[in-house]
Amino acid sequence: MNYILNYIRKDTWSPYVAGTLLGIVGILAVWASNSLLGASGSFENIAGMIGKTVAPKLFDNMYFNFIMPPGITYGVILLIGLFFGGMIGAATSGTLQWGKKGSANSDEQWKRIFGTSTWKRWTLAFFGAILLEYAAGIAGGCTSGLAISGGMLLAPSAFIFIAGMFASGIVTALIIYGRRY
Amino acid sequence: MSTYLIALVLGTFFGFALNKAGLTKYHKIVNVFRFTDMAVLQFMMTALVVAMTGLYILRGLGLVVFPAVPATYIVGNLVGGLLFGVGMALSGYCPGTCAAGAGEGKVDYIVPGLLGFLVGAVIYGLTYQQVFPSISAIANYGNVVIPDLWNINPYLTVLLFGLMSLFLFYMIDRAGWQRAEKE
Repeated sequence: MNYILNYIRKDTWSPYVAGTLLGIVGILAVWASNSLLGASGSFENIAGMIGKTVAPKLFDNMYFNFIMPPGITYGVILLIGLFFGGMIGAATSGTLQWGKKGSANSDEQWKRIFGTSTWKRWTLAFFGAILLEYAAGIAGGCTSGLAISGGMLLAPSAFIFIAGMFASGIVTALIIYGRRY
Repeated sequence: MSTYLIALVLGTFFGFALNKAGLTKYHKIVNVFRFTDMAVLQFMMTALVVAMTGLYILRGLGLVVFPAVPATYIVGNLVGGLLFGVGMALSGYCPGTCAAGAGEGKVDYIVPGLLGFLVGAVIYGLTYQQVFPSISAIANYGNVVIPDLWNINPYLTVLLFGLMSLFLFYMIDRAGWQRAEKE
């Protein structure tokens, strides 16, 4: 029992243990609610909700009316859960801290490549996020909604996506890190 | 209402697993692309093996029905994946890990991160009609799974995938597919 409690308090688990937990969550999502895990689609639901309030005419299109209707969907609740899950995880290992300390520009490796500048981190974080969300839209899901959820059902799309993601991720890291790769 | 509760609980465990695997850290995500820390791959493959084993057995026993399988349209899946990898290597997160990292209090995940995903969602939604129908029409196989597509026994497919993953884990942990960090 003590061993388990101490393990929970650890900052980083073996990826095999954490992965098993995610696998069980994936099974339960199908078994308990006939749904798949996902994250990128939830941002579409929220964007639609905001858009329909701010500029109803602009957002009165095929996509926000039928493909990804706005609203508090299963995915949006899942996304809120993700937020609290991260919070609880950090709290159990004593690494929960609001603000700049946990930011990537305080990460040793980030600092070696990009320095400590906050605006540089925020620019990359912001445009990176836009690119990720757009890419997930085209692919039909992100790492959760397509790679994990599709992969566990053995959908070919998941493995094509993963292959593409690793290929370009490696090239991008090579370019960014250069001689320090 | 009860489905919402299930979503909240499952989402929480999902975020907890991402945190404990270390995926809410910039260097964990980027280092899988540098082959200096393969945790992301080990985590994903473990989750896939566990989940597919459980789900295919439960389906065999008639206890679950699969929800709509994510559609396969080769060019779109691939182009999306290629763009996604660039975004991941630049930012050090993906939509799910950004949400979990935001909960940990990381300000760059909360402000430019979550805001960026919403802006991306708006741009995608407003250009969907010009982009998606044409790209998803190329080499579209629909909501198919590998055992049906290639006519292989599903349990054999799961077993082969499991063995492949074990081999991969062995190569990472024992045979040096993970490089040491320079310096």
